[in-house]
Amino acid sequence: MRNKKVTGIERLKVRYGRMFVLPWTIGLLLFFLVPLFSSIAYAFCNVSLVNDKMLSFVGFEHFKYLINDDPNFMDNIKDAVTSFVYSLPIIVALSLIFAIILNQKFRGRIFARAVFFLPVIIATGVVMQFVTGAALQEGAALSTSMGETESYSGIRFDELLINLGLPQSITELLSDYIARVFNLVWSCGIQILLFVAGLQSIPDQLYEVSKIEGATTWEEFWFVTFPMLGNVTFLVLVYTIVDLFTAFDNPIMKQAYDLISKNSVYDQSAAILWAYFVVVGAVGALILLAYNRILMKKWN
Amino acid sequence: MKGLTLKKNLKSNYEYKKVASKVAVSLFRYAMLIAVGFTVLSPLFQIISNSLKNQSDFMNTSVSWIPTTFFYQNYIDAFHVMDYLKTFLNTVSIMVLSAFLEVAACGVAAYGFARFKFPERKILYALLLITILVPVRMTFLAQYVNFRNFDFFGITSIIGDLIGKDLTINLINTPFTFYLPSIFGVGYQSGLFIMIYIQFLKGIPKELEEAAWIDGAGPIGTFVRIIVPSSSVAILTVTILSIIWHWNEYYLTALYFNENQPLAVVLSGIMELIKLRGGDAINSHTGVAMASCMLFILPVLIMYLILQKKFIKSIDSVGIVG
Repeated sequence: MRNKKVTGIERLKVRYGRMFVLPWTIGLLLFFLVPLFSSIAYAFCNVSLVNDKMLSFVGFEHFKYLINDDPNFMDNIKDAVTSFVYSLPIIVALSLIFAIILNQKFRGRIFARAVFFLPVIIATGVVMQFVTGAALQEGAALSTSMGETESYSGIRFDELLINLGLPQSITELLSDYIARVFNLVWSCGIQILLFVAGLQSIPDQLYEVSKIEGATTWEEFWFVTFPMLGNVTFLVLVYTIVDLFTAFDNPIMKQAYDLISKNSVYDQSAAILWAYFVVVGAVGALILLAYNRILMKKWN
Repeated sequence: MKGLTLKKNLKSNYEYKKVASKVAVSLFRYAMLIAVGFTVLSPLFQIISNSLKNQSDFMNTSVSWIPTTFFYQNYIDAFHVMDYLKTFLNTVSIMVLSAFLEVAACGVAAYGFARFKFPERKILYALLLITILVPVRMTFLAQYVNFRNFDFFGITSIIGDLIGKDLTINLINTPFTFYLPSIFGVGYQSGLFIMIYIQFLKGIPKELEEAAWIDGAGPIGTFVRIIVPSSSVAILTVTILSIIWHWNEYYLTALYFNENQPLAVVLSGIMELIKLRGGDAINSHTGVAMASCMLFILPVLIMYLILQKKFIKSIDSVGIVG
């Protein structure tokens, strides 16, 4: 009698679960899987939109062209992957450091947090072009023909350093480096947020124990904080990989987008995107796998 | 006697070290804070300062941060160039509304994932992860084609074939390009929001729901009366993020909207627009562009400043990652 009732409830729960997930599943089909598979199809077909979306299968033609004949593709992909590989660890490390700082108690903490999260508000889109000056450089190219001589390119680190009286060669090196770090700091917003949330979920008892055991702050970080953040770090890695993948200044994205907006070539740009996706996906998967193997195993 | 002073010395030495390390840590902390504060705030201040400069200030190399006159004409020009009121209303009616729809739909889906076990759960969950891993920019082209000849599971085209008319709907240039995915919980960044909700729901005790079940509340009743009120913190986090990301989105919007464009799209082409609508009548193109940028940021910035304390507190307690 009792068993029957339980299974009844279980069955009801199955039904309710499906009910709650059903709208999302429909949406998934219509607005995710359909475009996903058709964009994969584009990469392997010739697409002509003139006569009502004609697809004709060509196999790996587009990819062959990209690898053998396209003048920019291989360089772009090399640039994209290198910048990806060096940005990822820096972003993760920086945001962890910032999150730990923000998690401590000090004067002005609320103000500091408000400032640190500002990039979340404005860095995800078009404003970033104004911050780095990219939007105006494109505009400047247009306006020179109009005889306008205003020039502006975001923050001028080189000028700042020259004013400090440093020699030219060092200034160039430094300003390049600073400009990169600057971009990286601006892409840390969400990651800091994730880490702060993760730090909050570490129970205080662990720190009390480590204090009684006489651990230094450094040991505390390596044996308590970092392992406890294992899952968060993994999530941050995933998020950063996806985020870097679609970064606004990414040469590959630009190439693909230009193909569409200027020449309305759909198939080629789909091929570019998927080739890039596979490469970055492989690199990202390797990084995640290495992380899981080396660090997670050690802690478990 | 000797031993006592030694002890004292040792103790003071130890305390001295402790104080020193404390000072070092707080020095390092403030150094970092200042460095980051500078990187984050200086571009903002620069945008503000440039938005108030006129052309002669731009040409004058001795003027860097503080303009000689506060040239607020830039803002008036920007207001006209962007057609601000109309564009602002577009943004609210398309993007912000879509954000709210998304917040609600993601909550429903997340509740299904977090609390019920059903046979298809695992595969759907895997698909959810895939939606996070494959950025919209991978598929936006196909998405565009999909919206241009929108076809509800092929049903519309079958009926269309029967009647002999083309019934597929062109959704391009309509807000439905954002509403529809949001209503179904697969809108902009939805995967991430569903994950946030799921992680949050895992942390809520089930007793209340079970009590509601026993009291005879149905699944929808339980969801509305128990789950929604107790996840207000997560809802706030997701709402803010969703509004902000929708507000800033210009990649898809630029593709979907030729007319009635939201602010982000207008801003991304602001230099050309200034030339087109303002031309020589405008004193400083850069100044007006900067003023436009400020007009774009201002609404979200105000929202952020108002909700900032709650938002940051909610991040502490949402435990986004469980």
